[in-house]
Amino acid sequence: MNGRKSFGAKKGGRGAAGSQSKDGQRRPMFRRRKVCKFCSDKIDDINYKDTKLLLPFVPERAKILPRRISGTCALHQRKLRVALMRARQLALIPYTAE
Amino acid sequence: MTRKYELVYVVSPEASDDQVADLHTQVEAIVQRIGGAIERTDNWGRRRLAYEIGRHKEGTYVLEVINGTGELMKDIDRRLKVTDLIIRHLVVRVDEQQGVIERTKARRSATSQRRRVARGLPAERQPGEGQRGDADDDRDDRFDMGNERGMDR
Repeated sequence: MNGRKSFGAKKGGRGAAGSQSKDGQRRPMFRRRKVCKFCSDKIDDINYKDTKLLLPFVPERAKILPRRISGTCALHQRKLRVALMRARQLALIPYTAE
Repeated sequence: MTRKYELVYVVSPEASDDQVADLHTQVEAIVQRIGGAIERTDNWGRRRLAYEIGRHKEGTYVLEVINGTGELMKDIDRRLKVTDLIIRHLVVRVDEQQGVIERTKARRSATSQRRRVARGLPAERQPGEGQRGDADDDRDDRFDMGNERGMDR
């Protein structure tokens, strides 16, 4: 109980992160824990030819989705980056959106 | 030192099927002259390019898996660069990566078998076990073009 309270107070310091409930108690905002898609689906081969696999990691502006948003682990993000750059070279995936 | 390479080249959309086949025989000739072997050839057909290359918006993609030396690939690379019909190409060495993938897969299945035996289960996953059925197949929808709904089974 004590530990949770201090955590809530810390979050509250950042303003918008804590949501106010009816009795005015600060509660940390609930965020789903992100997991690496490649770890959880046990995908070993991140291949530049597999556009279907790569496209979710290329949002509208065609930039590579950062780890902090996709939740991909460091190892797989590195492999993903290589695959995406190869796919870009072959015009399977855009460099930019016009 | 023979290694495994993947070569993908994009042929200009103006090229006829004969010209595409001709390019393949040209590559094959270089490979055979320098002492390599083409393991597999895969024509992906005509695809839309993600961005314009020159003024082209489409291209025919051809994948060749080649066993050979670095010198061979260098030669092919040089020849493809000066071929006007080829608008883009990429050479990637794949043998090391494939070894890594195989080892990871072997290690994973060994671990899962060990754990399953330790829990008193049969070493192999039984059909219909767990929440997700054919985990390997559910993402691989390259060949069921007609079945758009996909879920009704």
